[in-house]
Amino acid sequence: MIQNHIKISLRNLWKNKLLSTLNLLGLSIGIGSVLTLAFSVYAYYNADSNIEGQENIFYLKTVTTGGDTYKSTPYPLLNEIVKASPEVIAATHMQGWGQPWLKYGETEFQESSNYVDPDFFKIFSLPFKYGNPETALEKKYSIVLFHKISQKIFGEKNPLGETIKLNDSINLTVTGVIGDLSPYSAFRLGVLMPTKLLEDYPTFIARADWSDSFTVNFFKLKPTTDIARFESQVTALAKKNYSDPSTLSEIKLMPFSGMRSDSLPVIDTIISGSIAASVFVLLIVLINLLNLNTSTMYRRTKDIAVRKILGGNKKSIIIQFCIENGILVFASISISALLFLGFLLPKLNGIYGADFGSISFTVTNDYPVILFAIGLGLFVTLVVGILPTLRFISAPISTGIKGRIDTIKSNFLVRNSFIVLQFTIAILFICVAIILNSQIGYMKNAPLGFNKENVIVGNIDLEYKNKETATLKFNDLLNKLNADPYVKDFAVSDAIPSNYDFNYNQVYDPETDREVRTRFANTDEGYLKTLRIPLVMGRDFDEKLDSADDHPVIINRTTMKALGWNSIEGKRLKGKGSVTSGNPVVGVMEDFHYQDMQNAVEPLVHFYSNKNSLASNRFLSVRFAEGHQKSIEKLIANGFSNIDSRRKYRQENLTDKVSAQYRLIEGMLKTVNVVALLTIFISCLGMFGLISFMAKRRVKEIGIRKVLGAGVLKLIVMLSKDYIILVGIAALIAFPIAWYIMDAWLRDFAYRISLQWWMFVLSGFFALLITAFTVGIQAVKSARANPVKSLKTE
Amino acid sequence: MLLELNNIFKWVTQGGSRIFLLKDINLQVEEGEFISIMGPSGSGKSTLLNVIGMLDNFQEGEYKFLDESVHSMKEKNRSKLYKEYIGFVFQAYHLIDELTVYENIETPLLYKNVKSSERKALVADMLDRFNIVGKKDLFPSQLSGGQQQLVGVARALIAKPKLILADEPTGNLNSKQSEEIMQLFKELNQAGVTIIQATHSETNAAYGSRTLHLLDGGRNHI
Repeated sequence: MIQNHIKISLRNLWKNKLLSTLNLLGLSIGIGSVLTLAFSVYAYYNADSNIEGQENIFYLKTVTTGGDTYKSTPYPLLNEIVKASPEVIAATHMQGWGQPWLKYGETEFQESSNYVDPDFFKIFSLPFKYGNPETALEKKYSIVLFHKISQKIFGEKNPLGETIKLNDSINLTVTGVIGDLSPYSAFRLGVLMPTKLLEDYPTFIARADWSDSFTVNFFKLKPTTDIARFESQVTALAKKNYSDPSTLSEIKLMPFSGMRSDSLPVIDTIISGSIAASVFVLLIVLINLLNLNTSTMYRRTKDIAVRKILGGNKKSIIIQFCIENGILVFASISISALLFLGFLLPKLNGIYGADFGSISFTVTNDYPVILFAIGLGLFVTLVVGILPTLRFISAPISTGIKGRIDTIKSNFLVRNSFIVLQFTIAILFICVAIILNSQIGYMKNAPLGFNKENVIVGNIDLEYKNKETATLKFNDLLNKLNADPYVKDFAVSDAIPSNYDFNYNQVYDPETDREVRTRFANTDEGYLKTLRIPLVMGRDFDEKLDSADDHPVIINRTTMKALGWNSIEGKRLKGKGSVTSGNPVVGVMEDFHYQDMQNAVEPLVHFYSNKNSLASNRFLSVRFAEGHQKSIEKLIANGFSNIDSRRKYRQENLTDKVSAQYRLIEGMLKTVNVVALLTIFISCLGMFGLISFMAKRRVKEIGIRKVLGAGVLKLIVMLSKDYIILVGIAALIAFPIAWYIMDAWLRDFAYRISLQWWMFVLSGFFALLITAFTVGIQAVKSARANPVKSLKTE
Repeated sequence: MLLELNNIFKWVTQGGSRIFLLKDINLQVEEGEFISIMGPSGSGKSTLLNVIGMLDNFQEGEYKFLDESVHSMKEKNRSKLYKEYIGFVFQAYHLIDELTVYENIETPLLYKNVKSSERKALVADMLDRFNIVGKKDLFPSQLSGGQQQLVGVARALIAKPKLILADEPTGNLNSKQSEEIMQLFKELNQAGVTIIQATHSETNAAYGSRTLHLLDGGRNHI
């Protein structure tokens, strides 16, 4: 019986080649993208699944009176909390300290290094390959590697007991190797070392007081802990001990499971967007199948009636249908699996890999995705196999055998609402894509307040092996730059637009005591010139007038406004808690966008720093004469090639650095673009199939109309009018939804486009155009057919 | 007595008034009879066959098949009954387009869950009997009308029904093909199968042992 079913199904599919191809195509592409989206969502939620008891793991978040939040606290806080709170099962610090060099034999490497307490592995059950998590960091001179690092140094062998040299001075023993974490994990770890090591560093001891927040704290608490009470305890402890408790508002206890989206809120958008997109794509695919299947049911009513007369029951007829659809669906799933592995997943990694790392598919780890695909296939099969059959199967045999069913009217409504739903989704995605596009275009092309063209930015924070000779050679290079006719300006600074540190401090005007929270950076006298940032008043830094010891500052316009100044004549700025007489304000620069356009321009203070100093500066920026980029790049690179450093010198265009700020959001745009195209494409596939089918049913009507004198154009209008109206309705439904969603989304941007009517009209027009094209092809074909032929066939 | 219809009424309501499709039909059929139902278009021949074949309901009257009351039966039992005892032959053949000749004939056996080996034997017998062995792998669209109807009859017979209902079985055939089919019916009847056919043609009706005239759904004249 089953054999028979399969055989007949294959014949049926083969017979309706057009329909089967459309279905196969739509399904494969649709399911392929659903799989890709679902897999990335799965990878995200599964990334830290090996960490047990996450509901009891928390980290601390500082909230300042200024409204700032950050994940770090002063170092001593943790011990105070552990002492005071019996609810704590385990607790650990986690902090980086510089970028230590590790050495094994002759190989030297620098990896993401973190110092944690031995309790770390009591809190986080990470998958150890070698070593014992209980004791791995008990001893002071131990180091735990992640597998990819271990592999790089030791290959596949077990490295336990090997010695790795830290910063050329301390010998550490490898006490554990941990299997690699998912790229989507909350942690980006390379090596872990005990915090105790840090306590030997005077620089660390100096900072590890109650004034400097730099350590991240993790806790595992008893499940019965009253979180609110615990939070207030911690805040009280902090307020009691902080050297300046006035800036602290509270310390919050944050669940570890929310750490990823807490540090990068856009992840939430990406994840919920992915889920929504896969549901929508799935819906469109389902509707296609339902609509096309329902259409073919008319032809099959006779077939069903005959089978019933021959003794078939409803069940066997439904089974026949399900098998037919099942073959289609599972064939599509196989194709979509290839599409997913061979094309979509690499594409996805291309989009998000730079920010999150590449994910890969392995059967052993990701079998739930396979189960999901199979479950999805069964679900789709059952829905499209059973739903369209139901109304036909109960029809009386005596009417069925004549091949007509009087349910066309009610079906018409269902089918039309389906089409409207499909196109609403498709138009929604097009709207989102257009608006996203405009916003990104706006951010990339908005005047930045500086000139990003023709500037090379070199990273000069390279850990020079010999500081004195490095400085000499660097000065040599600066002289050469000075002499080069094609170098217009150059500057040395510790910040560059797109790369300003989160270096905040409260400053105040000693005359008025007015306080402003500002961001800091150190620049030399060439900075404003090189970047072409205009001065509003005062003067630029001057090598002859200023010395770094005076600490003169240039503020931006926002700072001046915040301080309520009209002129800077004789003004000084004092840092909060500073004992000096303050810094003279020598100039005011125009506001420029030193970070991406999602963030507003905040008060900014530039300190004067010496050009020649390699120690505190991180960037060398050079404005070159148009057309001479190559030679200047070479000149600088040559200059650095003979300076001995641990890190390699790198340089890039300022334009690229500025654009790179939008990489993630552009990735989102790419995904949305693909999904938008996909939804409209699949919807049109369905519509195309439907129209071909309807045209076939109306072949006689068209023939008669032609004989009666209807022109081709009239017929085309007659055949396509209804669909165009449906798409119009869909557009009217989609517009307000798109407006609502995107308006809310845009609020996250400090600088944003205002939604324009043309964005919606454009998306509607685009959808209509594609529909008209799809419908048109078929309508023209039917309308131009020879009426004699079509009438004869009836 | 194979079946018995007493005072059967069937109507549809259109614009508030009843239009009778069958009006007070009385009919008794003994096993082994060959009955022809005649009447003009729209007189209710097909409707009557559908009612006898239990494919259609009626509003009033009683219907006994092998002494069981069909009118008071549940749908499920009714279809069990007709699947067991009745074979259908249609004017438009109603073969399943996607199936070959062989598979078309085999289908009723599949639905009856007959074993594969037995199925093969039965279908082979049937093909042999109707001389269509050479056509067994062809699809309906590759056959002439007469051949298609032969397959239709073979399919109706494969489940060994007691009664064959034929609705204008030769309506789409030329006279030679039609004669073949009628001859076949006659032989079947002689072998003991009860046949009720609806027909326009006096010639075909003459093959029957009894003719029933229907006049516009009205009372039958026997």
